[in-house]
Amino acid sequence: MSTGRAWRIDLDAARHRAGAVRTLLCRVVVGDRLGLAVFLGALVAIGLTWRIGFFISDSYTLANALVALADGSLVVEEAVYGTLESPGMVVHDGRYYGRNYGQVAAALPLLWALRGVTTVADLGLVFAALWSLVVLSLAVQVGRLVGRPSLCAVVGSGVALGAFALNAALAEPVAARLLPVAALQLGTVLAAALVATTVYRLGTRLHDRRVGVAAGATAVAATPVGFWAAIPKRHVTVTALLLGVVYAFYRSRADRDGGTDSLLTTAGFRGLAYALVGLWTWIHAGEAFVVFVALVAVDVPTAPSNDRRTLAVVGGAFLASLLPFLLTNAAISGDPLRAPRMLTPAAEATGGSAFGGGSGGTDGAGGTAGGTAVLPPVLGGVLATVADRLALLFEPFVAGARSVFADPESLYETFVRAGYDEYIGRHDNDQAINLSVLESAPLVAGVVAILATGATRATAAVRRDTRTPLREQFVSAVRTARSSPTAATDTFVALVAVLFVLVYMPRLPLFAQVTVRYLLPVYVLAVYALVRQDWVRRTLGVRGRAALWSYLAGVFLGAQLLFVVVAVWTVGRGGAVQLHAVAGLAVAVVFGVTATASALDDRFDGLTAVLSGITAALGTNLIALSALVYFQYGPYALPAVDWLADLLAAA
Amino acid sequence: MNRARVLVYGTAAVILAVTLVSGPAVGFVDLTTPRYDTSGLGEGNATVDRIDAPDSVTLERGYQSESYYLTVPDAKIRLASLSGKPTVAYGVDIPAFGYSRSTTHFLSEGTSGWVELSLQSDTLGSDTVTADAYEGTISIVLRDSSGKTVLYEEPVTVEVVR
Repeated sequence: MSTGRAWRIDLDAARHRAGAVRTLLCRVVVGDRLGLAVFLGALVAIGLTWRIGFFISDSYTLANALVALADGSLVVEEAVYGTLESPGMVVHDGRYYGRNYGQVAAALPLLWALRGVTTVADLGLVFAALWSLVVLSLAVQVGRLVGRPSLCAVVGSGVALGAFALNAALAEPVAARLLPVAALQLGTVLAAALVATTVYRLGTRLHDRRVGVAAGATAVAATPVGFWAAIPKRHVTVTALLLGVVYAFYRSRADRDGGTDSLLTTAGFRGLAYALVGLWTWIHAGEAFVVFVALVAVDVPTAPSNDRRTLAVVGGAFLASLLPFLLTNAAISGDPLRAPRMLTPAAEATGGSAFGGGSGGTDGAGGTAGGTAVLPPVLGGVLATVADRLALLFEPFVAGARSVFADPESLYETFVRAGYDEYIGRHDNDQAINLSVLESAPLVAGVVAILATGATRATAAVRRDTRTPLREQFVSAVRTARSSPTAATDTFVALVAVLFVLVYMPRLPLFAQVTVRYLLPVYVLAVYALVRQDWVRRTLGVRGRAALWSYLAGVFLGAQLLFVVVAVWTVGRGGAVQLHAVAGLAVAVVFGVTATASALDDRFDGLTAVLSGITAALGTNLIALSALVYFQYGPYALPAVDWLADLLAAA
Repeated sequence: MNRARVLVYGTAAVILAVTLVSGPAVGFVDLTTPRYDTSGLGEGNATVDRIDAPDSVTLERGYQSESYYLTVPDAKIRLASLSGKPTVAYGVDIPAFGYSRSTTHFLSEGTSGWVELSLQSDTLGSDTVTADAYEGTISIVLRDSSGKTVLYEEPVTVEVVR
């Protein structure tokens, strides 16, 4: 019997180890139980909007590349979807290659998993089952959080079973050929949920859990992150990476005073920040370079220490994280520094209609995109070449700055009112379906209150230190940034946001953006900027209920109202989207004013709370109605939502 | 194990079991059937005794854009008899700019009396729409076992609303 006993002990040990692994995974990915709940909640919400299929023709490139990669090849030999001449596909030595390989590689295990699952389960029912299981686990987590496990178990089981039964009753077959695109979409859906949970963790570490949860939910539900969550483009994935960088950056400073619960040392967190930037190069080297510049510029001067050992950890992590990028490039072009985006596009970016056309293949937002052969051929000209390369690398920022001053109208069209643009309209049947930042996410208007906060602080500071010379004030400001983790993080976030905008400004406004998708990470940085302001936290703390109720009313009543107006007032998709734009912009302007007022005087907090709820609701309504009514392509992941969308289309 | 736990695990087990049982490996039951069975479509017979079709169609300027939105009011047909699954295509043609669009409606057995036919709206660019009015044609075509029957084909005025 000794073998049986040994076996049992082994089983216990294995269970113990599995539990430990699960706990560790939970801590690394979502932080704590509330973070897990935010993650699951985001998945539940995004699941409702998920349509399996292609929203934009660039995605053909990634899906075809994924199919090829699953067959063990980087070369895309046949177009399983669309054509080989899709935007973003590149040709090298007569062979076709995709791009954003980091994102494609991340989807590979998901594709394997989906293929495995569909050998035993019907694809038409897989997502319905998964969704119900996520609802169930969300209920369990919430039950433990609020101390009502039985009640939440009953409600959760009821909702999960009811939804599953409804979905099963309405389920239709889903073609197996959609599996690779579903895998890519699953990747971005998980990334979007990760955005929510990372914003939550950052908000909680900086302030408290209430702020964290509000910020996490807002980042996904009230900004276009939710719009792009189930669309397999790079934007949501790189947003998740950026949030990871910001979080690691903050931890690398905040844990300095002996963070007892850290899994990583401060140097480790610094290394993590750089490593995430390194992984970003595997998706889009140009964007990664922008973040790298901002990170180095803020990290090195404000780091707790730059001793040799720390730098070795940071540099080692960064170099290791660059390996996938370098190896992929070497395998494709033979030059480790020549990314697919720098090769010849398979098709000229002709545009076509917004959702038939893509954003083009020449997406190099500068950066490494500039250096075709970074190592100088002759050593003699090293200095000149270095200067040249530097100029080339920094050229995008200069061009961006120049374009902001030369063409302020574009800035206005990108951020405030997009309206009708003849050049863009030509791609969309003369409609205006590309919105500005404020039109897509009116909540962002609250960021302008920073000016008021800044002004009051500056006045107070100047009044306090009239005697101190300006130079000393500057030195003391730098010292604050060095000693305060939040000040350093604020600086980093602000710099990334500015550089990101600068790099993309020369190309904006552009067609096929819908919600200025190039700037998707900036929306989440705007949420960060909001939670860092005192008036926001005060409003959330004292008037949280008013904000929440006006949000819920704005979503449940507002969405219906908008739908009825669109259905009755026959204006088409272009008109419907413009209705959102005009309503969003109008509320955004009012919110900007009350937010500024709140920043100066807390008597305005009540009004600001209500308006913040409504602006957030308008962001959500755009996502919800786009998913259910305006942009339909392919079957919905949840059959019941598919049925609802059919019903709404008939109205 | 307490009751809540049993409930949660039970729910998860039911969901997984149903998914597995209906999956390709077991195949005990197929839960994913098309909501509309398209077999035998366009076959059968239908007799239409009255038709009510619109005599004007509008091309309305889109809100805050330079596009035009084509809306065709619903048409109605009255079925005197129906068997099988014939289809009815409701269409509009605007020859001036080579435009043609139709929506096919499936008639399912058991339908009788007045049936509403809708035509999906469409967006047209401003370089297409230049005049104030166009001549168009509205058509209703029945497809059943006896082939294609044009039930209705009449000119219609396409009004441009700016």
